[in-house]
Amino acid sequence: MPEIGRLATCLALLFAVYAIGASIGGGLRRRTELVRSGEHAAYVVFGFVLVAAAILVRALLQHDFSLEYVAAYSSSTLPTHYAFAALWGGQKGSLLFWALLLSGFSAIVHLQNRQKNRDLMPWVTATLMTIAAFFLCLCVFVTDPFERMPVPATEGRDLNPLLQNYWMMIHPPSLYLGYVSASVPFAFAIAALVAGRLGDQWIRTTRRWALFSWAFLSLGNLLGARWAYEVLGWGGYWAWDPVENAAFMPWLVSTAYLHSVMIQEKKDMLRVWNMVLVLLTFSLTVFGTFLTRSGVISSVHSFTQSGLGPFFIAFLLLVLTVGGALLVYRLPALRTQATVESFLSRESAFLFNNLVLVGIAFATFWGTVFPVLSEWVRGVKITVGPPFFNRVNAPLGIALLFLAGVGPIIAWRRASPKNLRRAFVAPVTTGLVAAVVLRVAGVPLGYAHATFALACFVLATVVQEFWRGMRARQAMLGEGPARALGRLVGKNRRRYGGYIVHVGIVAIFVGIAASSAFRVEATQALRPGESMDVGKFTLRYDRIATEEDAHLSRVRALVSVSTNGTPLGTLGPEKRFYKKPQQPTTEVAIRPTLSEDLYLVLGSYDPPSGVATIQAYVNPLVAWLWIGGLLMGIGTLITMWPSPLERRAPAYALGGIEAAAE
Amino acid sequence: MTRLAAGLLGAALLAVPVGAVAPPTQFEVEESLTCQCGCGLTVHACNHLQCGSGDPIKKEIAERIARGEDKATILAAFRDRYGEKILSSPTFQGFNWVAWITPFAAVLAGGVGISLVIRRWTRTPPAPPPAAPSPADDERRRRLARELAALDREA
Repeated sequence: MPEIGRLATCLALLFAVYAIGASIGGGLRRRTELVRSGEHAAYVVFGFVLVAAAILVRALLQHDFSLEYVAAYSSSTLPTHYAFAALWGGQKGSLLFWALLLSGFSAIVHLQNRQKNRDLMPWVTATLMTIAAFFLCLCVFVTDPFERMPVPATEGRDLNPLLQNYWMMIHPPSLYLGYVSASVPFAFAIAALVAGRLGDQWIRTTRRWALFSWAFLSLGNLLGARWAYEVLGWGGYWAWDPVENAAFMPWLVSTAYLHSVMIQEKKDMLRVWNMVLVLLTFSLTVFGTFLTRSGVISSVHSFTQSGLGPFFIAFLLLVLTVGGALLVYRLPALRTQATVESFLSRESAFLFNNLVLVGIAFATFWGTVFPVLSEWVRGVKITVGPPFFNRVNAPLGIALLFLAGVGPIIAWRRASPKNLRRAFVAPVTTGLVAAVVLRVAGVPLGYAHATFALACFVLATVVQEFWRGMRARQAMLGEGPARALGRLVGKNRRRYGGYIVHVGIVAIFVGIAASSAFRVEATQALRPGESMDVGKFTLRYDRIATEEDAHLSRVRALVSVSTNGTPLGTLGPEKRFYKKPQQPTTEVAIRPTLSEDLYLVLGSYDPPSGVATIQAYVNPLVAWLWIGGLLMGIGTLITMWPSPLERRAPAYALGGIEAAAE
Repeated sequence: MTRLAAGLLGAALLAVPVGAVAPPTQFEVEESLTCQCGCGLTVHACNHLQCGSGDPIKKEIAERIARGEDKATILAAFRDRYGEKILSSPTFQGFNWVAWITPFAAVLAGGVGISLVIRRWTRTPPAPPPAAPSPADDERRRRLARELAALDREA
């Protein structure tokens, strides 16, 4: 069976190469049948990769330890769902998984565009299949997931215990979905540059793909944060690890694109900049993959050293060279006459919003690669850790939060004094009042204080927008409040969905600021029956409970929690000791509430004396990170949902066959 | 001038009053050092079970603070022993200044660039009105009107 998997991968590569040739040939010679043939080949690529992935999954589930990959990343005692997740748990499988997602997305793109964007499609197919061919080449020639062991193993080495967590089922796929779907806007941007169709046709076509990619990058980052919070057991959720940064950077640039593209759609400006952002987003996904797989920068996320780095660097250079050259070639045609008319305008606010977002991405990139640069220049190894990123990015984050309030409500073109007063008096007053109240309440001046005050300012802008829109519908159409609100959102999904996303972002900012600035922690070695205090909580260590099965053994400390004498229940932080490989992991116990999380870690345990070291953290408002993520998801769904008018749009408005014929 | 700017930036980044003499806290010193066990976290954040690197460092920090040593002295001692890589962020010295200054310089340059472009745009007279529509545009307009009318009938 694995031989069939290998054959399927090889055939997928052959068809991908054919699709590239047929699409480019068809596009250059304007031969429709050749272009269609290339597209059909792209469907076949998906079919073969699907077969290959299914065979690898089958081998994982059936514990076929004659395969090197199965023996390296699973074991006979690994629960079935983790055996399935091992598909993306190791280097080789994850590359095949990447090819699977990419070829799947390619198939969807071709289905969506059977009658549309015909002038762009040859180049879209060629670009997507070039990316697919790169990953398939790695699977065929460099890291074959179907490689046989010289002597079949009797037992596997098992999946890394840190990955044996339910977040493993959803965090990596979310990030992969975000990473890989960024290929679609990139492919359309390249196609627009090659075909010279430089208007906003490609942007409208890929709007949902860009949102889809952004949404899954957001989800992937947040789920990764949640995973770190639950599994790594250091009380935090973001360590500015190079691979975390690698996922954060494309998200930032993609966010900048989603904002600046509005200016192109509205005023036909920033065509060059939008192209740059799309090319950059995709390049950063390749760079992130390079970071994870090259071993050039040490990270807890890194796959084992594999020698894949040079391939990714070469591919990255190809992407940057081709994209850059096309951009320079089309530069004269990309320039437009439209301009910004005033500093006090939405266009300006969006430009500065882009500057800050790309600035944070650059600062993150800089901090990530600086150790390599330092070693190269000085020959001295240094560390660029969380204190650097927090200090550099915190002021930029504050500026971004401020602009999140200004951008949506300042007028297009030129804000008059009257417009400024009408738009800003209430939100600014709210922010100032909040700043004073917070100070009086004892919140010290600093980043957290500024974040809370600005959060109130941004929330006030959003509430004001909803309120005014709803009141206008009530006055003009006589609708009730609920109906007016529903219709307001339903008929302006993009705008109001975006506002809900902003509320989610505000919640995340507040959660980060509060949990970073006001965390309380304590560590104490306790004998059974002894207590310790952390924040408002009293923790009494009752006893140790142990469990063991074929896969792992558990040591759990049972800790009774109370506050002011009122019992709140029992928490059980534990250490797990996996048997294959023999490795301990931390399972934290969390008592989450909207105001704070009580977070307990079993630091160590001494069986003879019964002494357990308990690390306790009180993380204020951390729940708002996850709530913010949920709000972002809801807002994105509203924004992406097609409106009836869009569904009935004339074909040529989407660059259909007739438009191409003209 | 450059030194002054660098000094101001450093002070802002450190966010510590110049000449502050308060004894360091265990937390701030632990956060300034990277655990050498390979976890990639700061000494404070590393919670490896009986970590061979983090635990002795934490103990030594506590002893040094108890002896009245200030933060700079403690960090210098660890730096001498393990090399610069033990510090969790670049120092404010020599080439490491490049790490701190570049992101702010890039954003500042971007801000100045955007401001100059907007200023030039706002001083440019508005673009002339679009040229008269071509026959092809007329045909498109007529088709749009037909399709919109058809949509209205559907609705």
